[in-house]
Amino acid sequence: MSNRPADERGQLLMGNQAIALGLVEAGLRVGTAYPGTPSSEILAGINALKKELGLAIHTEWSVNEKIALEVALAASWTGLRAAVAMKQVGLNVASDPLFSAAYTGVVAGLVIISADDPGPHSSQTEQDSRLLALTAKIPVLDPSTPEEARQMAAIALELSERYRLPVLLRPTTRLCHAVQSLARPAPIQQHPLKARFEKDKKRWIATPRLRYLLHCELNDKLARLEAEFETSPLNEELAAEAPGGLGIIASGVAFETAREVLDELGRKVPLLKIGTPHPLPREKVSRFIERFDQVLVLEEPDACIELQLPRRNHVRGRLDGTVPGAGELTAEVVYEILARLLQAPGTGSGLPELESLASQLSLPPGGPRLCPGCAHRSAFFVMRKVLHRAIFPGDIGCYTLGTNLRAVDTFLDMGASITMASGFFHANQALGDPRPIVATIGDSTFLHSGIPALINAVHTGARFVLLILDNATTAMTGFQPTAATESADGTASARAVSIEQLVRACGVEFLERADPYDQDGLARLLLRAHEHASSSQGGVAVLLAERPCVLYEPDSVTVKVKVEVTSQCDGCRYCLEAFECPALVLRPDGSRVDIDETLCIDCGQCLDACYKGFIVVKDSTA
Amino acid sequence: MSSVNAVLAGRGGQGVLLLTRLLATAAALAGRPVMVSETHGMSRRGGSVVCHLKLGDSRSPLIRRGTADCLVGLDLHETLRNLPFLRRGAVLLTNSEQPLPAEVEPVLHLVDIRAHRLPASQMADALGSRAVANVVMAGFAGRHLSLEAESLSQALENLVRGNLHLNRQALEAGLAAGQ
Repeated sequence: MSNRPADERGQLLMGNQAIALGLVEAGLRVGTAYPGTPSSEILAGINALKKELGLAIHTEWSVNEKIALEVALAASWTGLRAAVAMKQVGLNVASDPLFSAAYTGVVAGLVIISADDPGPHSSQTEQDSRLLALTAKIPVLDPSTPEEARQMAAIALELSERYRLPVLLRPTTRLCHAVQSLARPAPIQQHPLKARFEKDKKRWIATPRLRYLLHCELNDKLARLEAEFETSPLNEELAAEAPGGLGIIASGVAFETAREVLDELGRKVPLLKIGTPHPLPREKVSRFIERFDQVLVLEEPDACIELQLPRRNHVRGRLDGTVPGAGELTAEVVYEILARLLQAPGTGSGLPELESLASQLSLPPGGPRLCPGCAHRSAFFVMRKVLHRAIFPGDIGCYTLGTNLRAVDTFLDMGASITMASGFFHANQALGDPRPIVATIGDSTFLHSGIPALINAVHTGARFVLLILDNATTAMTGFQPTAATESADGTASARAVSIEQLVRACGVEFLERADPYDQDGLARLLLRAHEHASSSQGGVAVLLAERPCVLYEPDSVTVKVKVEVTSQCDGCRYCLEAFECPALVLRPDGSRVDIDETLCIDCGQCLDACYKGFIVVKDSTA
Repeated sequence: MSSVNAVLAGRGGQGVLLLTRLLATAAALAGRPVMVSETHGMSRRGGSVVCHLKLGDSRSPLIRRGTADCLVGLDLHETLRNLPFLRRGAVLLTNSEQPLPAEVEPVLHLVDIRAHRLPASQMADALGSRAVANVVMAGFAGRHLSLEAESLSQALENLVRGNLHLNRQALEAGLAAGQ
């Protein structure tokens, strides 16, 4: 079967889509993922190519990253090229199979893509996936541009297959979300498959004694890989005539940033680009370092190359504080570092006139907010109104923004709302603190890792209120399906599992369904749930707050309620703080609030957001 | 063709991403190398959205503060927030009916920044939907970035689903205003 994509003229690809293309071009047969910014468009890209080109690829949005990795690994053991995509904190969830798979190895190529988030922009940590791969003894490729990511995806599959090792491809946010005009893809051939799973007792069910032998084998693979990387074009020096002074070792997006800043400074500095931070070609790197008085290492988000350098006495980087220990290596930061080391004039920031102007204008914060009409807002508003004294453990998703409405007090990692609620309950019992506990978790996050947490809570006798905010999609990351929706890959039908049945099966006795748009109804249910959780005879009380995401399903708002703010509004700002809808806008002079008609979706949910009653249904006859 | 760096700013929901993609696609259609940095994920939810667009041979996605040739703002606050990206002598294009705040104009003058204002939202209202203000600004900005009207129209056809007629009108209006 041969296919060619439609006219590519002028087509731009995002880094994540470029990775998808590289994998598909290299004969990918199985793609799995759990969504997470900045990685989500990788599997979406594979799905789009699969559909466009009519390719036979099994794809799935798995329930979590551990599951996604294991499904892809089994495909590889069967002889099918496979890839699994996730964000860096997802790799923590998948770390159990990751470490073991390094020992067992693979059959067909297996690429694990873990997208790091220096900044961080959309994550709870700035951790470096390369360091986890280093610990797990898995090779890493670190691309600098979308084009290179596409090439490295194919190289990673090939290397993985040749060395029988999973390979980590590690992009970062700026690459994932960089969009580049790319060369037209080659036609994609899919050959008939002859693969089948072959049993191998010494590998697939290796006992600890055999695992020792597999570990020796793994060490040997890495040594051979390192030797190959010593001469690989993935690690290449951009020579420049500047003997003696400064040399730079860089990887990922920081390499391109450094190159551009050096151009801007008009300085020629030799740059060693490292595409394989692990195993690091240590001889090549050492020879490079010896040539200079000092060598700067630029890498994100942490020190991985630097940490592996055999001698660091004239190395500048994160470990000696030359490069900040946290935050993104933006062009500004790289400029500051290079200008200092090269004793060049200027700073990384903008024109002083404009910098001081922008800081003097008191601009409202530009942070994220829940969308107009979001049902989470209604749920949070009611929670605050009914049980304002409560401790509110939250979770990961759009609804983390409930913190803006003071209805999320903690967030830690996927599924932690339920476990933290249990922990708070047991701690409060010991202390005699009677405060209610109201936890919130989304549908996808509940399925990801909330279920064992709920079983544990029920089993240990924890008592709290849990709202499962079910908007029937994974909204934050771009509307991926969940196990409770109809489709696993966005293209085929799948069996939807019932969150309600899962909750009941965990042993929860109080379970009610609610529509957050019915604020009075939700308030009554919350009070009943609270009563159940407060009684020593009670337990975890679960409310299934169901309403589709308005961004994903705008037509779900069937009853349109046009509202207006009356002329009595005195600009007290209560609604802005307690309801925080982007469509409620304070006039620049602070005198009153108006409805921004372009943002308002006529959900009518803000009618109670003014306790003075100045937000009213618009009189259409007036 | 010389390189051009543009920063595009607005609030979530205003269509900064489409505006950027329109300009980028038009440039790519004309055979110019393109590099864009987009904002996705949490920051898209009603918050500040900033995209960087680089036309030319640059392979790094980000524009450094003080080096942008052009800033296109769909929202006043987001425009002002991103002013420090501009270099001396740059161009500022804002969607606004009102003049910039009084304290801004003299500073722009001081650093030779030419500010052009277009009431794109009101123009979009007149066409029937405020939602296409970003497309009006795409036409307006396209002129300043020396993009061909034909490439922009083709980009619109490639990218826009839905009311193509309305979007074409919006692009035309922006292009005409940028003459």
